[in-house]
Amino acid sequence: MKYTDRQVHVPLCSVSTTSSLVNKTGTWKSAQPLFIDRVSPCNEQCPAGEDITGYMYLVGQGRYEEAWRLIMEENPFPAIMGRVCFHTCEERCNRTEHDDAVSIHMVERFIGDYGLANSLRITVPAPERKERLAIVGAGPAGLTAAYHLRKMGYGVSIFDSNQKPGGMMRYGIPSYRLPKEVLDGEISRLDEMGVEFKMAVKVGKDVTWDSLDNEFEAVFMGIGAWEETSLGIEGLNKKRIYNALEFLEDINHGKEPKIGKRIAVIGGGNSAIDCARVSRRLGAEATIVYRRSEAEMPAHTEEIEMAREEGVRFLFLASPKAIYGEETVAGVKLEKMALGEMDDSGRRRPVPTGETFDIDCDGMITAIGEATRVGDLPAFTSHRGGVVEADRMGQTTHLRFFAGGDIIDIPHTVTHAIGSGKRAAVAIDRFLRGIENDKDSPDQFTWGESGTINLAWLKGTSLFCRRNPSLEVVDYTDMNPFYFDCLPGVKIKRIPVDERLKGFQEVAEAFSEEEVISEARRCFNCGSCTECGNCCIFCPENSIKRDPDGYGYVADMDFCKGCGICVNECPRGAMTMKLME
Amino acid sequence: MRKVLTGNQAVAYGAMLSDVQVVAAYPITPQTTIIEELADMQAEGLADLDYIRVESEHSAMAACIGASMGGVRTFTATCGQGLFLMHEMLHYATGARTPVVLANVNRAIAAPWSIWSDQTDSVSQRETGWIQLYCEGNQEVLDTTIMAFKIAESIRLPAMVILDAFFLSHTSEPIEIPDIEAVRDFLPPYDPGDLWLDPNNPRTFGSLCMPDTYMEFRWQIQRDMERAKQVIDDVQDDFGRVFGRNYRQVEGYRSDDADVVMVVSGTVASTGRDAIDFLRARGEGVGMVKIKTLRPFPSQELVAALRGKKKVAVIDRNFSPGATGVWAQEIRSALYELPEDERPIIYGYIAGLGGRDISIKTIEEIYQKTREADQPDDVDIWIGVNYV
Repeated sequence: MKYTDRQVHVPLCSVSTTSSLVNKTGTWKSAQPLFIDRVSPCNEQCPAGEDITGYMYLVGQGRYEEAWRLIMEENPFPAIMGRVCFHTCEERCNRTEHDDAVSIHMVERFIGDYGLANSLRITVPAPERKERLAIVGAGPAGLTAAYHLRKMGYGVSIFDSNQKPGGMMRYGIPSYRLPKEVLDGEISRLDEMGVEFKMAVKVGKDVTWDSLDNEFEAVFMGIGAWEETSLGIEGLNKKRIYNALEFLEDINHGKEPKIGKRIAVIGGGNSAIDCARVSRRLGAEATIVYRRSEAEMPAHTEEIEMAREEGVRFLFLASPKAIYGEETVAGVKLEKMALGEMDDSGRRRPVPTGETFDIDCDGMITAIGEATRVGDLPAFTSHRGGVVEADRMGQTTHLRFFAGGDIIDIPHTVTHAIGSGKRAAVAIDRFLRGIENDKDSPDQFTWGESGTINLAWLKGTSLFCRRNPSLEVVDYTDMNPFYFDCLPGVKIKRIPVDERLKGFQEVAEAFSEEEVISEARRCFNCGSCTECGNCCIFCPENSIKRDPDGYGYVADMDFCKGCGICVNECPRGAMTMKLME
Repeated sequence: MRKVLTGNQAVAYGAMLSDVQVVAAYPITPQTTIIEELADMQAEGLADLDYIRVESEHSAMAACIGASMGGVRTFTATCGQGLFLMHEMLHYATGARTPVVLANVNRAIAAPWSIWSDQTDSVSQRETGWIQLYCEGNQEVLDTTIMAFKIAESIRLPAMVILDAFFLSHTSEPIEIPDIEAVRDFLPPYDPGDLWLDPNNPRTFGSLCMPDTYMEFRWQIQRDMERAKQVIDDVQDDFGRVFGRNYRQVEGYRSDDADVVMVVSGTVASTGRDAIDFLRARGEGVGMVKIKTLRPFPSQELVAALRGKKKVAVIDRNFSPGATGVWAQEIRSALYELPEDERPIIYGYIAGLGGRDISIKTIEEIYQKTREADQPDDVDIWIGVNYV
């Protein structure tokens, strides 16, 4: 049945006969969205210049080999780094304001171990550059410089006075923190890449610095800081008194130094902690004697915590004045200290009180800092108290010589050494090619204050598209936290204390694959477009579309009204609004 | 099948039997139990419908317009303040020619707050182009809901089913529930013709119209609203034939031989039937006319029903400040076409605002005032107002 006899001549409602795209609504706007790539706080501070947000993204998708290769663009030692780096990245993680920091180092360790377990390789062709390069010192700085230079096509020879490569990583770090097979595994890759190792050759003695200067087009010096600072009190020649470097070196050579049953360790840095924890593993009681309080200790908090778990005792505000004992140490006379004004390091200075007391001990280890042996440096090197003078990229005043690691003015950590080796490699390459400042100056590819180069960015091979790169560091207020569930971080499990004290077994247990993926997926990927599509989904004008030519999205300015919804809905601060002129 | 149902349940049954496909609504007393009942029906598998959660009545109507443009049968319910918030979208639904059906439970306007019955919310939507169907009892509510879809879809204009707050919405009556297959025969699936958002034929609807075309679209609305008068009659006739219950836009009750006729709408009609019987028993020459449709307004039927009567008393449970009750306005204007000697005197009464009861006594009082005065005291006479 039909109720109306309607004859339709015009439609009931206005209907378009052409596309409404003829209305270029974008002409109304006064501001426009811009896709940008900002620096995440973790990347900004990484002394090794790693792309942390990038490999977190890959690991979250189970793309382990790609993640490994992304790290290997910057740092040849992910398995080592995941264990010994003090992961200051995690302190800066924006996730700390949301729930817990992402356990970046445990993810890196997993990726490094994945690389070792699957024998992943970096293949390089035979050297194509005619220049021959010498690296002096097979520690983290030298090995890193050699690695990157070898990848750049140079032939590289490494000289080192020790029997085995690794430097402080081998002889300074106990194996409960860094198992030797991990170290050997990662270093062996350099061997396979054709880096020539000249071990047990001491430059300055077995070969001269001048001969290197003559034979090689450029030389990298990374000879480290192997001289223990002296306490400067009487009686240090008594038996059972060690300095930290000799002690740890003996341990790492597999010797068991005779240290006694009650050990006093003098110092508050990571070496002091290592010595005390090793002493506990040798069956001794250990007391750390430090002249300031716990808050001023340079040692890493987690290391202090683990030392406490293992029964290391701490004696703060005490400074050695004299050593008791005939032939062998029997005790130390200590002066009580008080905290005074701030010093240059921003910590409160220890002030003597004149009041003294004694402690008994039958062994003592001094660990108050290491310095470069000035005599090991070439005569033509300009230095100040063993700290070699070099520019930001590591070039010394003797222009064919570059320096890195503990001999230049950077913090004495493995990570900083790795970053300095990479900087020097870039500098050497540019020096040999005769490139001075140009548009690709590494200055443009350093992430924030650490001054570290991200090579993938420099080479244009980053995982994330570096569109409109900005050196601005993304903070939590740039995030849209609505898009991130609160999810506590995975807790790191440590083996029981009685297990630890039986030997040198690694303390921190590895994360399972599930835990690693869960952690990696917690990463906000701050500041980089992950192609999540929110901008596209929320655009009321449908003016944001996938970039037909590549990565991410493009905004069609003919229709974008400049409302800014896309910028607001970007979960990770990879967009910004720009006022139109 | 007979069931004891409240007015709100009757609405929900009506929508469910009509195979409504999309419901988008926002809760508001005293409407809420309509959409709760529909949500239950959906959860229990009685109704196969998509339920869109929205954050306001404005969005509810916007979602309904979108769904209806998608070519599906669409329903919502609201009342009072919610209907006011929908106002902009009510106009849009008309202009977009979306046959949405809305159940409005008449609720008084704030301020001051009131949740009780009053027609001012729906009569305020007189100019939106919605068909308005007022109901006297719960059976009429259920039947009108089904008919509303058929009427609205036939002329591609939206329709409102209107019931009094609490007097119907929350009061139970035994209701005859039609067989769903019979309803499906009566009301076939909605056919949007060519005018719908077909993904295979992307077009823009309701786009900007220049002055040389705008009036034509409004004229079509008016033309179809005029046609709606016949459509409503036809649908009611059809419904009567199939289900045995007959409804009219204008229905007289003992009015043929009456000198004084009371004109009423909504639940006042059911009280009115008893009042008329009571007054007739006393020998008074009084009758009643119940109006079901405010839009389109059934002028011709009213003229036919009231021609030659001496006096007409219009009871408005609504009010337009500065003018009079809305039914009285409409009736005055409709009867003006009669020659003076056949034109009754119109008495406009305002009663029962904000849910105040209109009892048999109230209607008797209105009748007495009308009978005694040769001319009305005023254009609007307020009944039962204290403190005046």
